[in-house]
Amino acid sequence: MIENQAQEDVWIPSACSMCYNQCGILAHRKEGTLVKIEGNPDSPYGRGRLCARGLAGIQMLYDPHRVDRPLRRTNPVKGIGVDPEWEEISWDEALDLVTAKLAEVREEDPRQLFFSGTVVSLSPLMHMLGTFLPAYGTPNAFVSDGHQCGNAEHILARTLHASVTTNPDARYCDYLLLFGCQAGLGTYYALTTMAQDVADARVRGMKLVVVDPYLSQAAEKADEWVPIRPGSDGAMACAMLNLLVNEYGMYDAEYIGHHTDGPYLVGEDGRYVRDADGKPLVWDTGPGAARPFDAAGRPTESAALTGCYSVDGKRCKPVFQRLKEQVAKWTPEEAEKVSTVPAERIRHIAREFGEAARIGQTIEIEGHELPHRPAAALYFKGAHGHDNAWPTSLAIELLNEVVGASNVPGGLMGTNPVCFGHPETGFPRWNPTAGAEGLLEAGALLHNDIDGPTPGWPPPPESAELPNLRDLIGWPITTCFTPAALNDDENFGGAVRPKMLINYGSNLLMSAARPETCFEAFKDCFVVCSSLFSDETAEALADIVLPDASYLERLDPVPNFARHHHPVGLGDWGHQIRQPAVEPLHERRHFCEVLLEIERRLGINEVANLMTNFAYGIPPEFALEPDEEYSWEEISDRIYKGWFGSERGLAWFQKNGVLSWPKQVEEVYWKPFSEARAPLYNEWLVRYGEDVRRIAHEKGMSGIDTKGFLPLPDWFPCQAHKPVPGFDLQAIYYRVPWHTFSMTYENPWLDEISRGEPYSYYVCINAATARAKGIHDEDPIVIEGTDGARIEGRARLTEGVHPEVVAIANNGGHWARGMPLAKGTGVFFNQLQKMDLEHTDLVSLSMDCDARVRVYPAEGG
Amino acid sequence: MRLGMVIDLKRCIGCYGCQVSCKAENGTRPGTTYARLIKREWGTFPDVQRLSIPLLCNHCSEPPCVDVCPTGASQKQESDGIVFVDGDVCVGCRACVMACPYGARYYQDREHTYFDSEGPNEYETTRYLEHVRGVVEKCDFCRHRLAEGLDPACVTNCMSKARIFGDLDDPDSEVSRLVREEGGFPLTPEAGTEPNVFYLPPDRPPTNDRQVTP
Ligand code: SF4
Ligand code: SF4
Ligand code: SF4
Repeated sequence: MIENQAQEDVWIPSACSMCYNQCGILAHRKEGTLVKIEGNPDSPYGRGRLCARGLAGIQMLYDPHRVDRPLRRTNPVKGIGVDPEWEEISWDEALDLVTAKLAEVREEDPRQLFFSGTVVSLSPLMHMLGTFLPAYGTPNAFVSDGHQCGNAEHILARTLHASVTTNPDARYCDYLLLFGCQAGLGTYYALTTMAQDVADARVRGMKLVVVDPYLSQAAEKADEWVPIRPGSDGAMACAMLNLLVNEYGMYDAEYIGHHTDGPYLVGEDGRYVRDADGKPLVWDTGPGAARPFDAAGRPTESAALTGCYSVDGKRCKPVFQRLKEQVAKWTPEEAEKVSTVPAERIRHIAREFGEAARIGQTIEIEGHELPHRPAAALYFKGAHGHDNAWPTSLAIELLNEVVGASNVPGGLMGTNPVCFGHPETGFPRWNPTAGAEGLLEAGALLHNDIDGPTPGWPPPPESAELPNLRDLIGWPITTCFTPAALNDDENFGGAVRPKMLINYGSNLLMSAARPETCFEAFKDCFVVCSSLFSDETAEALADIVLPDASYLERLDPVPNFARHHHPVGLGDWGHQIRQPAVEPLHERRHFCEVLLEIERRLGINEVANLMTNFAYGIPPEFALEPDEEYSWEEISDRIYKGWFGSERGLAWFQKNGVLSWPKQVEEVYWKPFSEARAPLYNEWLVRYGEDVRRIAHEKGMSGIDTKGFLPLPDWFPCQAHKPVPGFDLQAIYYRVPWHTFSMTYENPWLDEISRGEPYSYYVCINAATARAKGIHDEDPIVIEGTDGARIEGRARLTEGVHPEVVAIANNGGHWARGMPLAKGTGVFFNQLQKMDLEHTDLVSLSMDCDARVRVYPAEGG
Repeated sequence: MRLGMVIDLKRCIGCYGCQVSCKAENGTRPGTTYARLIKREWGTFPDVQRLSIPLLCNHCSEPPCVDVCPTGASQKQESDGIVFVDGDVCVGCRACVMACPYGARYYQDREHTYFDSEGPNEYETTRYLEHVRGVVEKCDFCRHRLAEGLDPACVTNCMSKARIFGDLDDPDSEVSRLVREEGGFPLTPEAGTEPNVFYLPPDRPPTNDRQVTP
């Protein structure tokens, strides 16, 4: 407790959590009240600068509409928009009810407990996934961020970069090409640091080209804005690949030969050609014969990248040859038909990109001579929020790979896939390796060096009993598909049904898809929400609401998922603490502490202790004893000491906030130092496609279509491209840097921004398109999907949007009683979103984030 | 000394961080935004441009707001040119609000709070002690921070490093150099107030300098 409140005036180092980036903050507390949040200059996560949301967190802490005490539903009727008629109860009563239900469910079948969480509250989410759920015995967890998830980018970041996400090496980059992405310019990973680096780069002369149907914050700053039909980015990228490898001859043969599977021979069956030991073969142009890819004494350039060969009577071609042939049909003219981007423009961007990559040149950095490839192509939800996500994302990624601009100075970087650990202890550490086939395998999946499943994926299980596509398709990191599976008896009828749902910090009714999806899936369950607000999900579904401590009221020893919260490039590593800026107000409690209490009551604390050791990679010296009871502070102390030595425990971090040390060149620009190859050709996916097809057939899952399981890039239309008479537009959502998903709409400082800003609370429609429909600026309009879904909003006529598109910011339009400030502000995009197999890319589990619609004035129609 | 600010429209990404960092620093009431932003759009699809333009008081060298003030509450500080309002003297006549061509002044007409019917929360109870009803408030380049050797809050926080602060009388200062070499211009110079906030053009040529600014 706080002593000497009267004179108190302290700055507390901690970590933000107003979005998934978890930047370093300093919280100024005076006489017991938090009076300001600033950036922490000592933290590599933000380097002292915050976005509007991070600065505004204070108004979330003191929002009088927060849930302050446990609540119990007294209205037996559940429903969207129904008043739950909350009654306040004591913590003891709440925990009795929750524990009794958990015990009952566990006794019957623990898998009947389902869990949903959000990446915004990342650290408690990871704790739940890594400790409580396995100890309890349920695998049924999902992340409900739905259309916000990185899906396809995450898979490719792991496959090609041994990481979770990517970012451009802005310090050295000369040409940044963004597809539906706002890296360093609006929203994205490590925003507050990448913004500094990208601004420096642009002033220095880095050219910025932004491909986006909407004139986004990033497009506003672009040297060239390339408006494109949503969902067709892959066609443009395929055409660029075609120009680079077939027409302009702009590719990095040295890189492709040495650092990718480009020379590996592929047979007509779509598989690598292997020797008797299973080693992939290449064609050696010296003797004119096949040899293992890693045969001793043979130089890289002896392996053919092009041509057609015969091995043991079987015709085969190098991967790179296959890639050349695969993209040949994508002429710029073909891509123009699909994307509306003029062929000439595609040509000039491809040429500029290829030239900017300076193939063959090197640069000296801190005594190392390294390839210098200052061009990067990067994408996010705008490009991969479609059911063609996988081949689209692959096409964009391979732009970097063919010019060799991957994990070298100036190129596209995996977010920090190599870390040698703190110089004194070697923790935390992760480092990718080359697998038996020479392909890249990621280091740590969680915090320390536990092997990741890339690309040596576990085989799909024979049973699709668990109601989540991930059980059939195991590699995507997250998916919110669970509720859709629960609603789909035809394909997932044999699945375990939920009896109980614990929902931590997420408003799944608004975030996963249209609210009916999640409501239907969980309406018959006992639902417990640990929430900041009585939001739409709590009001519709919850039996019990536990008042959650916000990020300003709690201790998280590992607030960052270190790899992707750091900016890429040289600079510092840092490990920071999240600690209470104020003690939890009223009766709010930290979810992790509530979990410890529940574990004890359920008698699963011994297993949970072991899981904690494993999940955090705590070395034996500091590991938790199974039969001891620990407080959250004691657990935090052991994690810190285990990683950073006994002198740097919890007390050290409480005082100092962040421990930093410099990154090394071999960590940052790791590719030239690594023997592991990035797969241009995703042979694993050919194998998986066959397995998934077979299992789906055996189980009678007729909705599983593996047409998208492509080893090489391609493009096909997404659901929103299907022509439906009268439905002439595509609705898309975009993000603004002062809102996170739907959660920030209750924050008055952020609401004040949107109220004074011309676009984000409106539906942006191209001025000419609107006029043709008799729609005027500010008119109330209806946006109607082909399946009858309707949303309303006010029109903002602008020249900054593709004529076939209406663009809607984030995900507003709250209706919960418990969020009165948010209620009715902005537009509820997700009502248009259908979540089912048809609208999902089955490789990445990316869902369609756009819809075919018609738009008309609200009166009349 | 003539304190002034340079806002680099090439760097600025229109994130509204300045608006909120000012609010967080000064604890201002709803509707009062000493630092704010406007967005403008011109052209026809697909040749269209949007621009985010951060605004704040220009701390003009010829400030009409000071001239019209009948009480002397609005002043221009001799030592550094900062234009400020002495809240103890201001009678709230609002002549200065009318006189300022830049909309940089905010009359505190009532003690409103962000959660309206709920009244002030703990934060507002503390911070709004600094603000009295019935006077005019405005940006003062964070005089309290300058006194501690810090830059204004919006400058320190801007995540694109688009705001640079310094002495325009010193030809060697970074702000003077930028105005001189990078084509700095004030807004609405025809108003004749001689602003000390300068903007760098969004489309100016690159420096081609690989140095990363600190
Ligand atoms: S980017 Fe996210 S974590 Fe960082 S300051 Fe903004 S809201 Fe906070
Ligand atoms: S904080 Fe900086 S980048 Fe953001 S709007 Fe203000 S001046 Fe522009
Ligand atoms: S901008 Fe307005 S308030 Fe500021 S000094 Fe000039 S005239 Fe006065």
